[in-house]
Amino acid sequence: MMKYLIAMIVLMLLISVQAQADIVVVVHPSSRLKNLTQQQIIDIYMGRIHAVEDTNRIVPYDQPQDSELRASFYQHLTGRPVAFINAYWARLLFTGRASPPRQVTDNMSIVDIVEKDPNVIGYIDERNLNDRVSVVFKIITHAQQ
Amino acid sequence: MQRLISSILIGLTLLFSTSELAAQESKEPRFRLSGFGTLDVTTAGTKQIGYHNEFSHAPQYGGASIFSGSVGGLQFDADLLPKLSATVQGVVKERTKYDLFNFLDWAFLRYQVTPDTTIRAGRMGIDLFMLSEYRNVGFAYLWARPVIEFYMPISLSHFDGFDIKYSRRIAPGFLEFKAYGGQTGSDITVSRGDLSLRERPFFGANASLETDHWKFRLTYASAEVHAIRNQPYHQLLSALNNVPAALWPQAAEIAGHVSAEGKRSSYYSAGIAYDKNAWLVQSEFAWFSSKWPSVNLTNGYLSVGRRFGPVTWYSIGSYAKSLNSPLNLRADPATPANIAKLQEITQTAFNRTLIDQNTFSLGVRWDLNHQTALKAQWDHTWVRKNGGGFLITREPLTHDTALDTFSVNLNFIFK
Repeated sequence: MMKYLIAMIVLMLLISVQAQADIVVVVHPSSRLKNLTQQQIIDIYMGRIHAVEDTNRIVPYDQPQDSELRASFYQHLTGRPVAFINAYWARLLFTGRASPPRQVTDNMSIVDIVEKDPNVIGYIDERNLNDRVSVVFKIITHAQQ
Repeated sequence: MQRLISSILIGLTLLFSTSELAAQESKEPRFRLSGFGTLDVTTAGTKQIGYHNEFSHAPQYGGASIFSGSVGGLQFDADLLPKLSATVQGVVKERTKYDLFNFLDWAFLRYQVTPDTTIRAGRMGIDLFMLSEYRNVGFAYLWARPVIEFYMPISLSHFDGFDIKYSRRIAPGFLEFKAYGGQTGSDITVSRGDLSLRERPFFGANASLETDHWKFRLTYASAEVHAIRNQPYHQLLSALNNVPAALWPQAAEIAGHVSAEGKRSSYYSAGIAYDKNAWLVQSEFAWFSSKWPSVNLTNGYLSVGRRFGPVTWYSIGSYAKSLNSPLNLRADPATPANIAKLQEITQTAFNRTLIDQNTFSLGVRWDLNHQTALKAQWDHTWVRKNGGGFLITREPLTHDTALDTFSVNLNFIFK
């Protein structure tokens, strides 16, 4: 009985650690963007800027609306809850200022889109990172920062 | 019938919101249809005092209404060229006058001149205050309805013309300048009946600075009354202008005082918002300056909110006060009866436009999911004698009074 209990606790700890993986912001390996600041990422994902310095127009992609990764990304990036971000984008959309980042279904969809288009920027769970994309910013979300 | 059509259109937007229009897209769409809506129930007013939270709404004399706060809107965006896009937005809600002029809130072309500069031309939202371009989109703001004292005096929702916007990041935050010009107008309900107003030229500018947790905003706008249509207004002016000077020497001067045509109004406002560590604070103050007494006032509010997960509780304190004193035309006992009656009508008409009221509000917003929010709000409003200009009454208020307003609404968007 005690073994099962310990196994359950270890499993729960693992799940808990797994759920708190870091988030990486990624672009195409050939992109002229090599490093971005947190402020630049905020401005891109809040619809304030559409290019960085002399780059082409940057097209941001988002995780699914109700995903935990999206909520964690905006909370750590802007310090605001995802409900604020949703209302904020409603403001921009319905004042004709900007359209919210397009959304895909999962991490690998972001990787697929970024791999095909040098103008696209996206963010993924770090565990899905591979050499098809380059990291321009990392958001440390777990306790051992 | 018009209410039925409004209800059907609001229902259709709700239906769209549950459809697959919000499906995932991996390619950049050239055309987008999005929408918003509010399904609202409000209890307000009394048998003697008509309440409306926008001048363009019919008054509510007690009981519950699903029309005073319900709204439905559809927006169509098209990317025509890499730097050129078009937006059309139609809004269905209770109005004094139902026609295309009022239904079509926006129809404009937008051109990105440089990464920092955008110009637009066509019909656009009037950008006078924090909520001005999205006051119909309940999901986009905290309260169950815009603060009456601050947002009600501006019955204008759009203008026809152009605007130019310049924005860029500077050291303390994100800076934005906007200038605009054109013409505007509105069809509203006042105590003297339906009133149609057209204003030109209309122009203005605003500046805002947004940091991580603060937003500051300054606004200036100016408009000149070009045409006004309201039967009692014209009858009164005509009567005043036809009074022989020997009987009432001040009649022509008073006619000039209450008339609107050709008079310019200026609007100045300052706003500040703070959002950090679950606290949301927002405040705006404005000053209207005009030789037309109906729009000569000052107003403002302070809103404080606190988030608890998906639920945000908030409280608002607000005021609006006319800068003109009540007119007091005491009839000389020797004045002929018909002139004394005209003096009484003039005094009543003038004093009924004056505003002097405060509201304290408590409310809650619950974000149900990424596109739906449920809100509830209670307002307690104190209205002073000769200060009921926001209300619909047969006579000017002869004593102080208080009103309670309660609303529950479901706000949604789809995109």
